[in-house]
Amino acid sequence: MLKVKTGDLDKMGLLFERYHRALLAFFYHSTGQSAHSEDLVQTVFYRMLKYRHTFIENGEFRTWMYHLARNVLNDSIKKNHRMSYQSDMTSMSEQAFTEPSADKQLEKKQEHENLHAALAKLSSEHREVLVLSRFQDLSYNEIADILQTTEGNIKVKVHRAMKELKSIYLKEMI
Amino acid sequence: MMMNEEFDDIEKQLWEQMGNLPTPNPSPNMKTRFHAMLDTYKAEVEDKKASSFSVFLMKLKQVFTYKTSNNWAYAIILIMMSGIIGYFAGKPNNQAVADQNDVKKLSSEVQEMKEMMMLSMLENPTATERLKAVSYTQELNKVDDKVIDALLTTLNSDPNENVRLVTLEALIQLGNNPRVREGLVQSLMKQESPLVQVALADAMVKLQEKRSVKQFKQLLQKENLNKAVKGKIEKTIQVLS
Repeated sequence: MLKVKTGDLDKMGLLFERYHRALLAFFYHSTGQSAHSEDLVQTVFYRMLKYRHTFIENGEFRTWMYHLARNVLNDSIKKNHRMSYQSDMTSMSEQAFTEPSADKQLEKKQEHENLHAALAKLSSEHREVLVLSRFQDLSYNEIADILQTTEGNIKVKVHRAMKELKSIYLKEMI
Repeated sequence: MMMNEEFDDIEKQLWEQMGNLPTPNPSPNMKTRFHAMLDTYKAEVEDKKASSFSVFLMKLKQVFTYKTSNNWAYAIILIMMSGIIGYFAGKPNNQAVADQNDVKKLSSEVQEMKEMMMLSMLENPTATERLKAVSYTQELNKVDDKVIDALLTTLNSDPNENVRLVTLEALIQLGNNPRVREGLVQSLMKQESPLVQVALADAMVKLQEKRSVKQFKQLLQKENLNKAVKGKIEKTIQVLS
């Protein structure tokens, strides 16, 4: 990123190769919409170019990247004035289970759909910490840097998020 | 991420299930779209560089390049121009003067309208509109205190980080104005976002605003200051001291 900052814009291609899947997963699990998530990934890379001067020499690139990604996500939610989460999980599940299947696979598909439905109903604050910790494999310390809070606070948030998720999930099952 | 030991069985199960949730594969045209965007951006940057200085120099050179083959043409143009200038300088035409006054009046009215439009757009609830408003400042020939105050208020209190960053860029362009410089220095303590804090530090170095050192030192005392921002500020203080 430092090379991009100093004007070697072609290096942005390497960053795209390295991080576009992670960003796609971040947006997909935050919005539930795959096509829209691709647009948001594109916007993040555009902002990286536009605001490359704000990247700090000794800074952690991933922290800066997720900072931009969160802003893009918030802007998109405000702009669209609609539910922040609209799942197209069904098609994803079908995609994942088109192999010759037994009852177990069908059961798993149902589980995934229930879990996605529960994630959709989760408060955006709790969904965010779960997406960052579970789907992006970030440490509590890194998440704390991104959300500008303490590691202890993140632990508490993840704990509360799991409690909320469980309660919604169990209601879904009834 | 380690599994939290305080989770109960159901939570542990959900945690495991989340790890198995499918994530879509990027569509084939995603990479193409990215490279198209990158190429367009690079072209824009190149255009800006080229159009700014080199083109100006080239044109200037062309105008002043003396070509012997055009001797007669130069002479005729010079005679005609001096005739026209002499005619208007010697006989001030009342109608022409009146027209000129009208044009001046009209352009100042347009200027006022642009300013009003910009100020009202800054109040717009949509961030996109506010971004547009900030970009209009570049179209204003003369920026007065009212506009500067509005921009500084936006920099200090707009809820959208992008709007604040763009406003900062616009204010840097007006860096010769003492009111702007004072406002930027004061803004340091009002910013919470690390991106804006870093951009402000860059701005202070660019404007060589040594008065900001005191504010930066105060900022360093702040609790919860981002680690990276802290490093940047320390570097900025070194540069400015």
